Amino acid sequence: MDILGAQLVNGLSYGLLLFMITCGLSLIFGILGVLNLAHGSLYMFGAYIAYSLTATYTQSFWLALVVAPIIVALIALAVERILLRPTYHLGHLSQVLLTFGLAYVFHDLASSVWGSNVLSVAVPSSLAGTATIFGQAFPVYRLAVIFIGLIIAVLLWAIQEKTKWGAIIRAGLSDKEMIGGLGINIKLVFTVVFVIGGILAGLGGVVAAPVLGIYPSMEFETLILALVVLVIGGLGTIGGTLAASLLVGLVETFSRFLLPELSMFLVFGLMAVILVFKPNGLLGKQVAHS
Amino acid sequence: MKKKWTMLISIIVVFTMLAACGESAINSSSEAEADNNSKKKSGGGGETIKVGAILPFSGVYASLGKDLSDGMKLYFESVNWEAEGKKIELIEEDTEADPQVSLRRVRKLMDQDNIDILTGAVSTAVAYAIRNDVDSNKLPYLVSHAGGNDLTRSKRSDYIWRSSFSSWQIGHSMGEWAYKNVGKKMYVAAADYAFGREVSAAFKEAYTAAGGEIVGEVYPPLGNNDYASYLTSMRGVKADGVYAFFAGSDAVRFVQQYEQYGLKDKFPLVGSGWLVAEDLRQTIDPAAAGTFASTFWDYNLNTKENKEFVKAYEKAYNRRPTIESLEGYDAARIISEAVTKLGGDVSDPEKVIEAISNVSFTSPRGPIEFDKDTHHVIQNMYITETKLVDGKTENEVIHTIETVKDPGK
Amino acid sequence: MKNTYVKFLISFLALASTPFILSLFHLNLLSEILILAIFALSLNVLVGFTGLVSLGHAAFFGVGAYTAALVAQHFSANLLATLGIAAFVSLLFAAIIGAFCMKVNGFYFLMLTLAFSQMIYSFIHQSTNLTGGSNGLSGIPKPEIGAFSFANPVLVFYLVLVIFMISYAVLRITVKSPYGQVLIGIRENETRVKSMGYNTSLYKYSAFIIAGVFGGVAGTLYTYFNGFIAPSDVYWTMSGTVLIMVLVGGSGTMLGPVLGSALIVILETIVSSYTSLWMLILGAVLIAFVVFFPKGMVGIGQSLYRRFTNKPSVVNEKKSRAA
Repeated sequence: MDILGAQLVNGLSYGLLLFMITCGLSLIFGILGVLNLAHGSLYMFGAYIAYSLTATYTQSFWLALVVAPIIVALIALAVERILLRPTYHLGHLSQVLLTFGLAYVFHDLASSVWGSNVLSVAVPSSLAGTATIFGQAFPVYRLAVIFIGLIIAVLLWAIQEKTKWGAIIRAGLSDKEMIGGLGINIKLVFTVVFVIGGILAGLGGVVAAPVLGIYPSMEFETLILALVVLVIGGLGTIGGTLAASLLVGLVETFSRFLLPELSMFLVFGLMAVILVFKPNGLLGKQVAHS
Repeated sequence: MKKKWTMLISIIVVFTMLAACGESAINSSSEAEADNNSKKKSGGGGETIKVGAILPFSGVYASLGKDLSDGMKLYFESVNWEAEGKKIELIEEDTEADPQVSLRRVRKLMDQDNIDILTGAVSTAVAYAIRNDVDSNKLPYLVSHAGGNDLTRSKRSDYIWRSSFSSWQIGHSMGEWAYKNVGKKMYVAAADYAFGREVSAAFKEAYTAAGGEIVGEVYPPLGNNDYASYLTSMRGVKADGVYAFFAGSDAVRFVQQYEQYGLKDKFPLVGSGWLVAEDLRQTIDPAAAGTFASTFWDYNLNTKENKEFVKAYEKAYNRRPTIESLEGYDAARIISEAVTKLGGDVSDPEKVIEAISNVSFTSPRGPIEFDKDTHHVIQNMYITETKLVDGKTENEVIHTIETVKDPGK
Repeated sequence: MKNTYVKFLISFLALASTPFILSLFHLNLLSEILILAIFALSLNVLVGFTGLVSLGHAAFFGVGAYTAALVAQHFSANLLATLGIAAFVSLLFAAIIGAFCMKVNGFYFLMLTLAFSQMIYSFIHQSTNLTGGSNGLSGIPKPEIGAFSFANPVLVFYLVLVIFMISYAVLRITVKSPYGQVLIGIRENETRVKSMGYNTSLYKYSAFIIAGVFGGVAGTLYTYFNGFIAPSDVYWTMSGTVLIMVLVGGSGTMLGPVLGSALIVILETIVSSYTSLWMLILGAVLIAFVVFFPKGMVGIGQSLYRRFTNKPSVVNEKKSRAA
């Protein structure tokens, strides 16, 4: 029984890590309708900047946790203003392709700046130890990841449900013309949402770096995983993304435990099964466009 | 409609122009059939020896490619890029670690650059992919990294020689030592790809032959990003140690998480040199301490040759050499010595491979020579232990297995 | 219509004469371009004509290539056997995967095709005993018919050329036929075509299968051409590259994918001698085309043509008629 409990904790921790990586992508897709394939690259920048900050300039993980997402947000701002804003008229598919091209460009930029060595961000000393749960040793950092992930989930939920901005965002999700008609600057909403997505991607990068490491092509692996979570959850809902993250986290963890050789296969299989039976994802709403 | 066809035809015209300087394919392929031995090479009797290197400069293996390249350049620099008065020209091509791209590059090196000798390949898939083209074109090829067993076994070619290692050498050398020094029961964890499978199979073979028992094994997928689940299940295993084969980012994550989940105090970690490789260890620190690994070279190998190599490398590049730097350095030396032995005449591939096969010297890794039956290098293998020195980890060579020869089947 | 046959014949003869002019290296490059052109053309049936964007087309390429390789290694290297079985197995896979993918639309379709192709990739990458795993399969015998073997690159080129011309012709006839017009109608407005009484799911499903089979044929040729196949050719990056070829060349046209594959292959070969930042260049090219030339190279050609002749483009006329 202990081992199942321990694997449950592993699954939760991994699932919330996935949530942190995916929520920005989900937010942007929900409101802008743009599937941002450069999301993985923003995540990667978060991780690399955290590495530079902790390894070279300062030893503080906490500083990196604040600074790296801000820098990534600036990159996201530049991307939105320069590349996406002038091209909204081209349609969603074209914009997906733009972000796809951007991911390729960012890939080589990152390798020119940071090289291609395998790197890692050290766990802050206050979270470095292990704690014993179910008779098993767990790194404290993993437990902290669960905690941080839940905080972000609650924050996002509260913003969406309880604030004026959240109302605008929800309105934008269901009817873009309407909020334009209400005199709200839709372009500004798009920019703000994209930047928030960038912050979340950067944050995910910093938090995940001590666990998942930093290596060439990390962004594409992360992106694919994030897309799977996004699709399983249903595009554009925070609740769905959280549910899907936890589901994927638990399925991966338990499949590694029970059927280790099939674990990669199973996550994609899970996605295929869910899409076939629930074509809009676990909690997805009927999205009108195709 | 008309425009489209005009475009298609203009493409063909462009191609024709591209080819204006080359000889036509019909000619070269029929010539190849008519006279297999004559090689029309500008470099053969000319003033420069052209060495082609196919290495990954982008993609997941990019850092390995760079180290191999730097190692080669260090050696060629030390002989002034000359052999027997002839200039050595190194032409590097990026494989992107993709076999298809690599084959295209090799064809370019053969047909456009007319190289005399080929070296490189980090990924075994790349080496296998180019094997037939190299063989049918009679191009001498010195493999300087790719370790797949079959390259010097079922896929052996007269023109392919390997100076690096085979999966078998890496895995097998640990078996007996682990049985005598770690314990009688081992658990095996290896990345699920050909290299991981081959190395762990060789380890199991040697370990069980020595009398040991494998109590369990697990093969996480390559590029698996979280080992928590595997490590949690591993805790309950009744074993004296864990043998692990992982490389690159997998190795960093595995070794770090192995310590974080408190397994290091329970089972000693045993593996291949890549688990605690020179460039990874600065990242893994200090979780790597206490690991035993089998390898064919180490930074701290205490020989005159190695100290000179390390000193020269650090002076040139201002960073520590890795095992790949050493592989590049040795490959360059083997090529230079073979060319020197031939008096600088590399026009006959049969003579080039014969010269390569006769090269033997004391490398920074110890004495090396080629096994003429398998075309694979005979070298010492070392067992290292990773220790904490002033808060940083260092490997120490604690055991030497001399002149290890791949069985070739 | 007669004119088309003449042009077809002229291009065939022009291409057939290339081995007498081109060097071996360039001929190999041309073979590769033609193979990838078939692959891009097959994807174009989905992306360009039916409006279904797939990011998993490499699955069929891989299935075809691996099937041909396994058949050649274990049973017979006969051209008809390897090509026939590979095409049939690709058809089976396309029929199964298509049945699932038809249930979803838009981005979900893109993701589901990606998921299936990654599942096939994982299977190939992990089944070391069957597929050679990460090392791939190598030393695959060249195709043969009876005692005749396609042993040298020039013969392989002619084989590739003939199959390319046949594939091009078949696909062109398909998209020009009433069936193809319905596909275009689905791309433009599915609801309307449905309300006209067409069973659009069946049309989309059959388009998926056609694309899958020709993808498999391209994969088979790749195996013939290289004598090896590795899992990297089944990875999603391969799907990404072929999608870029279609878009850069001009989706929804017959010549576009061919031009796209030529551009990407030639560009990579030239660029790689100078820099290893190939992905950056590829990404920048894609961005430039999406923003400035959304109709691809064919679109550029058309506008140049218009500028010189002051005539409206033929293709545009057709499009407006279809819409």
